[in-house]
Amino acid sequence: MYKLLLSWRYLRTRFIALASIISVTLGVATLIVVNSVMSGFVFEMKSRLHGILSDVEVAAPLLGQIHNPEYHTRIIRDVLGDDIESMTCVVRNPALLTFDVNGRQWTQQVMLLGIDDESFGSVTDFHPYLQNTHKREQFSFSLEEQGYPQWVSAGCPDWTTDSAWDYRRRKFSKIREAETRRLEQEKLYDLAAAEYLEQQAAKSRAWDAAQAAGDTQAPRNGEAVNANYNSNVQSPDTRQPIAASQATFIGPEQPVPRAPEKHMSASGFQHVPLPDQAPDFAAIHAQETAGVEAADSSATLRFAPTHHFNDGKTTREFRKFDPVDPYAKYSPEPAVEDFFDPEKDQYTGIILGLAIAKRKTIGEDGELKDFYMVRPGDDVQIMFPTVGGSAKPISENCTLVDFYSSNMHEYDSSFAFVPLKELQKIRGMVDPLTGDASVSTIQIKLKEGADLDAARDKLMAQFPPESYPYDIHTWQDTQRPLLSAVHMELTILNLLLFMIIAVAGFGILATFFMIVVEKTKDIGVLKALGAPSSGVMSIFLGYGMALGLVGTGAGVVLGLLFVRYINEIAEVVQVVTGQEVFDPEIYYFSEIPTIVSPTMVLLVGLGAILIAVMASVLPALRAARLHPVEALRYE
Amino acid sequence: MSRSTITKPVTIDSMGSMELKKHSAGATQLSAGATPPLKLAMPTLMSASNIHKSYRKGELEVPVLKGVNLEIAAGSFTAIVGQSGSGKSTLLHLLATLDAPDQGAVHFQDRRIDNLSPRQRETIRNRQFGLIFQFYHLLPELSMLENVLVPKMVQDGFFSYLRNKRAYKKRAVELLEMVGLGHRMAHRPNELSGGEMQRTAIARALISNPSVILADEPTGNLDEENGGEVMETLDNLREQENLTVIMVTHDVGLAKSADKTIRLVGGVVVSD
Ligand SMILES: Nc1ncnc2c1ncn2[C@@H]1O[C@H](COP(=O)(O)OP(=O)(O)O)[C@@H](O)[C@H]1O
Ligand SMILES: [Mg+2]
Repeated sequence: MYKLLLSWRYLRTRFIALASIISVTLGVATLIVVNSVMSGFVFEMKSRLHGILSDVEVAAPLLGQIHNPEYHTRIIRDVLGDDIESMTCVVRNPALLTFDVNGRQWTQQVMLLGIDDESFGSVTDFHPYLQNTHKREQFSFSLEEQGYPQWVSAGCPDWTTDSAWDYRRRKFSKIREAETRRLEQEKLYDLAAAEYLEQQAAKSRAWDAAQAAGDTQAPRNGEAVNANYNSNVQSPDTRQPIAASQATFIGPEQPVPRAPEKHMSASGFQHVPLPDQAPDFAAIHAQETAGVEAADSSATLRFAPTHHFNDGKTTREFRKFDPVDPYAKYSPEPAVEDFFDPEKDQYTGIILGLAIAKRKTIGEDGELKDFYMVRPGDDVQIMFPTVGGSAKPISENCTLVDFYSSNMHEYDSSFAFVPLKELQKIRGMVDPLTGDASVSTIQIKLKEGADLDAARDKLMAQFPPESYPYDIHTWQDTQRPLLSAVHMELTILNLLLFMIIAVAGFGILATFFMIVVEKTKDIGVLKALGAPSSGVMSIFLGYGMALGLVGTGAGVVLGLLFVRYINEIAEVVQVVTGQEVFDPEIYYFSEIPTIVSPTMVLLVGLGAILIAVMASVLPALRAARLHPVEALRYE
Repeated sequence: MSRSTITKPVTIDSMGSMELKKHSAGATQLSAGATPPLKLAMPTLMSASNIHKSYRKGELEVPVLKGVNLEIAAGSFTAIVGQSGSGKSTLLHLLATLDAPDQGAVHFQDRRIDNLSPRQRETIRNRQFGLIFQFYHLLPELSMLENVLVPKMVQDGFFSYLRNKRAYKKRAVELLEMVGLGHRMAHRPNELSGGEMQRTAIARALISNPSVILADEPTGNLDEENGGEVMETLDNLREQENLTVIMVTHDVGLAKSADKTIRLVGGVVVSD
């Protein structure tokens, strides 16, 4: 009884000891805060690292293949049994990605993944990272009519529409318009040249005739011819629209379309068969002289309203009677479907990591701005080798249909996704006889709580490296260096913080020795009154425990409150110091992530109490050993 | 043993008036109940035989007690006197089993107690001995009442203490009232005068109804008036509770009121 009473009274009256316990409080609070924030970060980082990596992966070597994936998946199902949540086959190979940025070519290496529309999303967290809101719900590799509200609302300067298709139509109609004008101008030159030549020929004929007739005074080069040429080619009313259209094309106030040359080559113009006869320039001339102004206004009329392009007929009419397509009338009219019309059609869809396209630029106001080198609706080219011994490079046009952003820069800057079947076809992974397609990786998602390493080991036993040239690994194996670094960091941090509490423990030790010395006489009295040494000892142990409890309790409360309001605290600190504590742009989190693990809080608390008790053991022992007579005699 | 207390003549000395009072009080007490012959027949309660004790000061061994023999009769008032440093406190501590003699034995109720286990000695100290010190030695964190209750707290386990708390408290209040401090029970020691503290210490010594009170210069740190009060209290209680008292003092006047005076000189008892 006296032990409790005295422990309690000492706690209430010895404020010096309370001061020594503040360090325990602070240590505990710091440990809880740091651990919570760190585990929040680690959790976020892990889920990001894991993101588009499957739990376990059976991978063929680079450029190699796994033949007969059905067989393999069957075996894997047999081996892992109920642990399997889902599986998907992936073709993975390095590739070169090329696209144009304002007419200049940008090429970089990417890791190209051919993924299965349906099963890939069930194995990895792919879908939530897509930028297009519509694709997140319903995934496909087709270009979307909507789904970028976040970019529009963010006021992204290059992105004034919600629709990638809209962007594509506008872009290619502008390109077509410009091309049309260019052709017009070329034709005028051609016409003028033809006319000139014709006149020259006529003149030369006339001169020949005159020569023949003996008239030597006839002029060889008539003034009238030059005048005619000038009026045709350089008259302001024919030149001016071209200049105007070029101004709109590259003017600073307009978003600059990318790579007119390339897209021209990729566009339908290329597909128009060349005439097998020379054009009849006289006839063209007759038509042109009437049609130039008309083409100008009609082209604008046709291109400006967007809704025209949703109507197939308009396009077909335009194609058929295009007054400025010099070759149209010479070609046999092809089926409309055969044309690749970039305003209506897309290539194979490709999804790129956001970091491939997104760059920061400094705007006029000096602010950092996002700049997209390429965006959904643009076409890109990928180049990669075929499979097999004699690999040949293949170049393929793709239409960028979306970005994904897992906020793991390593992934976002290197991964590109295309449909599995297309990639298999193009890379020559389909057996022409049987139609069976090989893959390069089988990705497996295991059920929640399944042991990844055990599953990997089982698969390794099933596919021993002697017989199968496969690399079997878990996502953690892939990210081992980073994960172990983070783990190490956390361990060391915990160690250091526990050192703080240990230092606090020495503080308690010192304080307790002082208290024991101060209480020597009281200890003597207690012993004289019959208190056993163990009782005296437990007074001080109890006191230490009480201090530990109070300090730890306060620390836990403080730490948990801090974690609970950490974002608010960060804001306050930001306001006070003017320095941003937590930049969401850097960490990709809108808030500081925290995870409070009850086990961790419990362990920290118990550890701190233990340290406080342990720090009181020595002084308590000393108190217990005090000789009552000496203690009573003590002054 | 023959020189028993009650019929002692009144001596006029520095504390004369008080002695008078005290003895008149003792007389009324006696006439009310106890009979002197009973007391006279009281057997030896405590005895020390051939006690040696020396302290070590580095290499030097300082002998303090060199063969002390004494007997304490039950119900008697024994004064131990001697010069400062003569070993009075040492002897008292040995009698109270707070320390063990180098040689010799201490008997209490016909039982050797100096070589008992610490646990047993603690129990004897707690139940049979009431200790009073020169510097009161109250626990400063506790109130007067709690201080008086400390021996009971030490004696009982947590739950038995809680069970008996009411009875203990009643007894403690009773004792505090007896020593004239019924109104100061909630105060802390540092709020009281030396005399009041010493009277509280007496109440504490009495709470477990001990057979012997061992007091080490209880008035040594008090002025005359306070010392008188304390002695008066002690005397009254002694009569009331039929206590055996062993008191170390250097006050010759006080010693004169004792049934027996033991004088320590040079580590031995010179007069009985
Ligand atoms: N713990 C000790 N160590 C050394 N010497 C001591 C110790 N305790 C007491 N003494 C010595 O023993 C002698 C007797 O002391 P004490 O019994 O306190 O005397 P008294 O109470 O008669 O004044 C003194 O000379 C003192 O210095
Ligand atoms: Mg002394």
